Amino acid sequence: MNLNFSDEQNLLREQIQKFCNSDYDFYDREDFINTEAGFDPEKWKLFAEQGWLAMPFSSESGGFDFGPIELSILFEEFGKFLVLEPYLSNVVLSGYILDNSSFDKKNDFIAKLISGEEQISLAYMEQNRNYDFKNITCLLEGTDSLSLNGTKNLVLNGSNADHYLVTTNHNDVTKIVLVSKDTNGLSINNFKTVDDRRISQLNFENVEINADQIVAIGDEAEQLIKDAINYGTLCVSAEAVGCMESCYLKTVEYTKSREQFGQPISNFQVLQHKMVDMFIEAELCKSLLYKSMIDMHEKNDSKYRSVSALKSQVGLSGKKVGEDAVQLHGGMGVSEEMSIGHYLKRFISIDSQFGNSHFHLKKFNNS
Amino acid sequence: MELSFSSKDLEFRDEVRDFLANEYPKHVKEKTENGEPLTREDIVDWHKSLSAKGWMGFNWPVEYGGTGWTPAQIYIFQNELGLAGCPPLIPFGVSMVGPVIYTFGNQEQKDRFLPDILNFDTWWCQGYSEPGSGSDLASLKTKAELVHEDGKDYYVINGSKTWTTLAQNADWIFCLVRTDSSGKKQEGISFLLIDMKSPGIEVKPIITIDGDHEVNSVFFTDVKVPAENLIGEEGKGWTYAKFLLAHERFGIAGVGASKRQLERLKEISKDLGDDDLIAKVSQLEIDIMALEFTELRLLSALEGGGNPGAESSILKIKGTEIQQRLTELYVEAAGEFAIPYGGPDGYGSNVKPNGPDYTNDALSKYLNMRKVTIYGGSNEIQKNIISKFVLGV
Repeated sequence: MNLNFSDEQNLLREQIQKFCNSDYDFYDREDFINTEAGFDPEKWKLFAEQGWLAMPFSSESGGFDFGPIELSILFEEFGKFLVLEPYLSNVVLSGYILDNSSFDKKNDFIAKLISGEEQISLAYMEQNRNYDFKNITCLLEGTDSLSLNGTKNLVLNGSNADHYLVTTNHNDVTKIVLVSKDTNGLSINNFKTVDDRRISQLNFENVEINADQIVAIGDEAEQLIKDAINYGTLCVSAEAVGCMESCYLKTVEYTKSREQFGQPISNFQVLQHKMVDMFIEAELCKSLLYKSMIDMHEKNDSKYRSVSALKSQVGLSGKKVGEDAVQLHGGMGVSEEMSIGHYLKRFISIDSQFGNSHFHLKKFNNS
Repeated sequence: MELSFSSKDLEFRDEVRDFLANEYPKHVKEKTENGEPLTREDIVDWHKSLSAKGWMGFNWPVEYGGTGWTPAQIYIFQNELGLAGCPPLIPFGVSMVGPVIYTFGNQEQKDRFLPDILNFDTWWCQGYSEPGSGSDLASLKTKAELVHEDGKDYYVINGSKTWTTLAQNADWIFCLVRTDSSGKKQEGISFLLIDMKSPGIEVKPIITIDGDHEVNSVFFTDVKVPAENLIGEEGKGWTYAKFLLAHERFGIAGVGASKRQLERLKEISKDLGDDDLIAKVSQLEIDIMALEFTELRLLSALEGGGNPGAESSILKIKGTEIQQRLTELYVEAAGEFAIPYGGPDGYGSNVKPNGPDYTNDALSKYLNMRKVTIYGGSNEIQKNIISKFVLGV
């Protein structure tokens, strides 16, 4: 039993912290929110140069064989600074599926992901709100030449993607197909999210699919989607833990500097105890994060169940910590120019993603 | 990082399980499982079974007769006791005064008191709180005056202690007393060991809202205590008391016992088919999991030579909140059958109401457990500690 990070893992954390501390100022970040991409392409290049985009890929695919523990470290640190760059959609979701598939052209696509040249988004969500990725209505029809019809929703980073991994239903067999953005018959609507990310709706109308675009079929495809989503759920939860840590630290700092009634408001015990509650929520979520990431690292059967416990708790705690942080910042807490409200928005977004707190509580109970 | 304990630790766990299966006194086990109250003799038998095994000093170094276990072994031992539903260990000897004596006491005191603690031949109680000194412990007033009589030095004690747990069973009491009122309030406090049979000591029961007699008032009127019963130096009692509190915190989360109660509650809520209760129990299960891994994180830090520090206050706060929450949900599960009151004096009838067995002590446990967020430094005090020492406010 050992819940301490290795020296190598601590170094990785320091490296990411160093980058965020020097290059991820909240006000600079604001400049990129309103660009078309919604993030800083220069930083994305830097991620590639640092090798961060290669982290979880297997060494055969040109990666570093890093796993859930290292990705959790990365996302925890990203969370502290509300990092916008589309690591989740490209490296975690699409990366996991490609790397673990038997798709014969996967190395070309992975190489371009690692170098930052191309982006790939996973399109698995449809109309229903039940986070059900099994009942797929995007239909693949035909025997030799295949044709794809249907709609995918809430595709993360969809507007920046060069390709999409699309989950489809071919005569009741799940198939994941790779579709390029400029394919005939594919129309794309792009939206902004509450937390300044980009998502898209993809409409497929008689899109022609060739056999060499099929990434995975049947059980393999379903298992890949399930595991990619579990991985993504872990990563956004780690991000939320980082956000919570920032929230209580920023709130402590603010209440120490804000004076009312002739003294710093941090002198008031009612505020102190609220900040302690925020700290405790963050620490308890961190403990669930450790359990989940090690369960995934050790490939234990309990990995889905522990991720559900984590995600359920992170959904509740994140909103509570975010709301309290806003409350303790007073009027400043609700102003767009302060970072604190942006953490609250990120918590809300994270809770909604991959199944909210209620959904995962039920999943936890039923597993 | 890895989740499982080493094979050596797992062997140790099996040894603890073997002990609990074979040597844990059967009559104590039966009563505990049926929710019946334990007598003084039952509790002594339970502790003596550990003494016989050489495990009473589970958290002591070998040189004082302890097991010398690693933090992981101590964790496993306490966890297994909780999972098996054993009665809680009486902490006042082994976890409180014992470590103070072997750390700050002289050789004579070690020889005199430590073996009886390990054999559970002496039942200790704790004389800290006073009617006017609860969370603000350093304001205590019980006075100890040094006198010289018949060629010997004595402290003469006057004052009172309160909330003294199981003082009615105790042979000895360790007390914080005031030997000096001139300087800072923390500086005039001394740590004294007092024989409960001393003339001038009176123990009066305090009945708590569950109807039970667990705590007492202890009154001291001109009680003569030989000066050799002073631990360490006069006026240093506060330092020893703080040491003791730090020693006490590990294992306070009670995860093992909570997990055992949760398992039963899960069955009950599913049998009842009450979706609302099931959801609440699921949430509690997640809370317990988070607490368990918080404790394991601290354990890992400890094993790696680190110092957990004030973060361990989280264990007190969440551990006790969870213990209370469990009793709240048992009451909820009991529905109307929570009301017939099965306190220590029975139901006022010689038959039990015909509700399911888990309803019998649901409410008395609920009422009894209100204490846990109050004692050992109330949860509000724990939050003050975190605020000051972790958040730096």
